[in-house]
Amino acid sequence: MSATYALFGLATLILLLALRFPLGPAMLLVGMGGYATLSGPGQLLDFMKSAAYWRFASYDLSVIPMFLLMGQLATRSGLSSTLFGAANAFLGHRRGGVAMASVAGCGAFGAICGSSLATAGAMAQVALPELKRYRYSDALATGTLAAGGTLGILIPPSVVLVIYAVAVQGNVVRMFEAALIPGLLAVLTFWITIAVYVRLRPEAGPVGDRVAWSERMHALAKTWPIVGLFLLVIGGIYLGFFDPTEAAAVGAAGAAALAWARGALDRNTLREALLGTAETTAMIFVILLGAEFLNAFLALCGFPSYMAELAAESALGPYQILLLMLAFYLVLGCFMDSLAMIFLTVPIFWPIAASLDFGLPPADLQIWFGVITLVVVELGLITPPVGMNVLIINKSAGGVPLRDTFIGTLPFVLAEVIRVLLLVAFPGIILFLPGLLS
Amino acid sequence: MTAGLVVVSIIGRVVLGRPVAGDFEIVAICTAICIFLCLPYCQLQRGNVVVNLFFRDQDRRVTRLLDALAACVYALIAFVFAWRMTLGVMDAVRDGDISMIIGIPLWWAYPPAIASFVLLAASCLTTAIGDLKDDPR
Repeated sequence: MSATYALFGLATLILLLALRFPLGPAMLLVGMGGYATLSGPGQLLDFMKSAAYWRFASYDLSVIPMFLLMGQLATRSGLSSTLFGAANAFLGHRRGGVAMASVAGCGAFGAICGSSLATAGAMAQVALPELKRYRYSDALATGTLAAGGTLGILIPPSVVLVIYAVAVQGNVVRMFEAALIPGLLAVLTFWITIAVYVRLRPEAGPVGDRVAWSERMHALAKTWPIVGLFLLVIGGIYLGFFDPTEAAAVGAAGAAALAWARGALDRNTLREALLGTAETTAMIFVILLGAEFLNAFLALCGFPSYMAELAAESALGPYQILLLMLAFYLVLGCFMDSLAMIFLTVPIFWPIAASLDFGLPPADLQIWFGVITLVVVELGLITPPVGMNVLIINKSAGGVPLRDTFIGTLPFVLAEVIRVLLLVAFPGIILFLPGLLS
Repeated sequence: MTAGLVVVSIIGRVVLGRPVAGDFEIVAICTAICIFLCLPYCQLQRGNVVVNLFFRDQDRRVTRLLDALAACVYALIAFVFAWRMTLGVMDAVRDGDISMIIGIPLWWAYPPAIASFVLLAASCLTTAIGDLKDDPR
């Protein structure tokens, strides 16, 4: 039975990963090994002649480096302080308001940056000192920022969504449309979480200074170039003016222009942004190449249909299987990075999900499953022991015990679980906008 | 190699203003070349994702050794890719593969790709040696 090969291959992969083998090369190695075993080394060697070129020479994938560059430029040009300043002017005088402003700032920053870690890092730089100044508890301050950072990958543009779309051969534009409302819902649930938190523990989130309306308007006015860039890029995609590649190019150019206008674009910053982009791009594409070989191997084994059969025979209802998959993501998220999870699991889980009946047409199912997966995967960024966001925030907070930060994120994890259940129960939250725009 | 990324974004911008015949192909080919060129840099920066399951910071000796081992295997893979793509470029030249719309010969992208894979193999060995040397005892 050829599914045995697949299971053996996956076991090898996990062993390699446990031995600190980097993800991309590990997937490549297992994929190549399996491919050679099943169809002979000659076939593999022929495939290798051009596979790498065809994988990388893709018009659709060229959005990845350009959105990464946009995020890098946004991170390095101090846009986060403008966004936080405006949000804080409106919210700071409420109880827990500075924390709420951090969440809003993260959401707004996520709208021009597709990475959670970058969002968390950029907002921490400006928001942490303010949160400290108003004597917010360490747990609430760091927890809020770690959770807020996850908005980076959810609110479009999102690099992870592009990769999901590639993995399931879906439509990136529809995915970007679908993620917006769940992203805004996240901002709302985080606000509610903070409000409840400071009601229970008023000393954790004291009130900030009230800011006069004229100053609020002034702070808001300063954000218009950023809002404009978001509207241009994402609005352009939604309304069909640009395809995602064009939008990403405009976005990168726009972010460069913004950075230049703020005087933040010197030679050094540009160099750092480009090198950062180069590194992350290569990291992602090595994994993409590995995924190409691994998936070719799994497809040769008939693994996707085997998994779907397994699910059909299991006598579990579709929702039970879905919940199992989501629970699995939560466990996996404890020690794996979000990109790695998407790459490893989507080729296995998507065929299962596609074979289940949730009463949705296939195209909608793909979108719905993608957004839910994204939310659960991003949740892995804030759960112990390896919550990447938590680690980053904790590092930049300096002196706060890691335990406090994890305790601070717990209420947000709870809020996230509730949000996932909402999204599962009401697919309309995800599917409304794509339906409206198509 | 960084200049390459700028080129992509500039091309993207130019493409926006006026539709150029074959713009998709140019972007795709340039993207491929840039990405190939980024691979060795990423390895030198140790930028590849590693799933850290069992090991802690204290186990530096073990992790260094494993990292060096993984880098050696990766070097081998990169080398095989370089070798196969050298044959691939010969095929492409012989068959005269050209892009669909404006007929760019497809083999143009191969030499930088092959060079990148060779460099990647070299970078892997460099990091492997670095890992082994930096063994604190």
